[in-house]
Amino acid sequence: MSAIVDTVIVAQCANGRPEKGFSDTLAFAEHLHRIQPGTFILLLLGEDAAHVGGEMAAAHGIDVVAISGAGLVPYTCEAYRDILAGELLAMGPTYVCTPQTSQGMEWAPAVAAEIGADCLNGIDAIDLVDGRICFQKDLYGGKVKGRFAPAAATTLITVPPGVFKREPRSISASGEVSTKHIDAPLEATDTLGIVPSEGDFGDIGAANIIVAVGNGIGSEENLVWIQRLADLFPRAAIAGSRLVCDRGWLDYQQQVGVTGATVAPALYIACGISGATQHRVGMRASEFVVAVNTDPGAPIFNEADICIVEDLVTFLPLVLLQLEAGERA
Amino acid sequence: MKILVCVKQVPDIDQIGVEEGAGGIAVLDEFKAFRMNRFDEFAVEEALRIKEADPFQDPVSIDVLTVGPERSEEVVRRALGMGAQNGIHLKTDSDAYLSPAVIAAGIARYAAGKNYALILTGSLSEDGMHGQVGPLVAGHMKLPCAIQAVHLAVAEDMGSVLIAKEVEGGVRERLRLRLPAVVAVQSGINQPRYPALSKLLRANAMELDRVELAGLGPAPMHAAFTGAVFPRRSRAGRVLAGTPAEKAAALVATLKEKGLLN
Repeated sequence: MSAIVDTVIVAQCANGRPEKGFSDTLAFAEHLHRIQPGTFILLLLGEDAAHVGGEMAAAHGIDVVAISGAGLVPYTCEAYRDILAGELLAMGPTYVCTPQTSQGMEWAPAVAAEIGADCLNGIDAIDLVDGRICFQKDLYGGKVKGRFAPAAATTLITVPPGVFKREPRSISASGEVSTKHIDAPLEATDTLGIVPSEGDFGDIGAANIIVAVGNGIGSEENLVWIQRLADLFPRAAIAGSRLVCDRGWLDYQQQVGVTGATVAPALYIACGISGATQHRVGMRASEFVVAVNTDPGAPIFNEADICIVEDLVTFLPLVLLQLEAGERA
Repeated sequence: MKILVCVKQVPDIDQIGVEEGAGGIAVLDEFKAFRMNRFDEFAVEEALRIKEADPFQDPVSIDVLTVGPERSEEVVRRALGMGAQNGIHLKTDSDAYLSPAVIAAGIARYAAGKNYALILTGSLSEDGMHGQVGPLVAGHMKLPCAIQAVHLAVAEDMGSVLIAKEVEGGVRERLRLRLPAVVAVQSGINQPRYPALSKLLRANAMELDRVELAGLGPAPMHAAFTGAVFPRRSRAGRVLAGTPAEKAAALVATLKEKGLLN
């Protein structure tokens, strides 16, 4: 039994384009509506929202509410909460979806609490279980997937990149665009500018082979095994999980993951990395993945071509022996 | 100046055993060990640093709070052992899954009227991984909020806090928020200290403010946790067998075969 549901997609636009995650979020909404038919509209925020909104309405056949106004740029949580709490409360949709970005994860739960809605972050699958929509996300570092059945009148959802794929859909007619100008004067926030990144993860981004290390390394001294392994490959680089960078054992410019670099080398050797969601997102595009970990249930093994349940500190020296013997032969 | 730090007790994720059950469900072993959510340690440490820097006219007092069953009192005691002043336990009566919606509503109700200048949380929990409690509390309390903070500095007049946030691409955004505010701190913002034994012993003897969570009010409507499923493999996942030396040989042979050793 399908019910008509209303879904609002919230996205930003700038420089004539919608934000990067818009396509993923649209794919999510389309996927949701294949399971449970309904209508969706796009709530677009930005200085050029009217113009970009017009293009989106035509390209995707959806109605657009284009919102511009003072206080929208640069992004502040305060302005987004102000505007979106008001708009969403008035619209009362069943679902609100927005890209899972540092901004979406900041305003969506805050708006949810303000309007009496629920919020789910990082949904990576939609299933129908006993006739009930269930949203799925990682739990316990990614060791299991949890299913959640929405129950609030409105549920806000942030959508991760690269999970939901667009399917071709015939557009019969362009959607309608309505424009709103809302000024959101800031009372509690002063924006003080940005500090650009110290690097561009160039070293690990360009590497053909990455030897990555996680908490299983145990101590900083054991990094020597990682370095010696990397030294045996041409065009290899060392990388690490966030935890290892937090400890100061590697630089944040060597971090692979959501808050670090996304890499796609020919070979990714994950040593002592449990493979929590945030890390896997950064390396899942690698061509061939070898994982070494003492925990047979480590989530990294779900993302590996070769799984080795060993302690890297005892195992890597054996690999080095083999490789060095092979070179001498 | 009063600071509230919210901490969570989580099972030791590395020690959790999972097996695939019928129909793809995930069967979790009973949890053996619990500890403080790693991400919350950074929040406790940050509060301690603010207190220790203390150029403020009004001395800083740190309250630490947890929402959870009986056993989660342990993480409050650990935070007291690190140096927090007062411990609060919003007690739930069962071991069942606690959604961030329920946790945050409880925290907001407890904190109402208690005059906290700053409420700190970790960026997410290792078990639920929702990453919502900070902003949810801010929404309930109508306070400004920021997440993924990698630097915090409270102004001397205690009217505002300077924040650097880590956003995409290694970029940092700088902003100032009027206090009171809620901030979720990012891992790596500091190096959390180990509690000194003497402090831990003293912490174990301290009286906690114990409140029944249910007594604070009804839970807001939220998604029901309907069960866990075993993750699908996205790759071949060939498990190497044999002695460590045999596995090493097999690995090298495979890499050679794939032309990755040239």
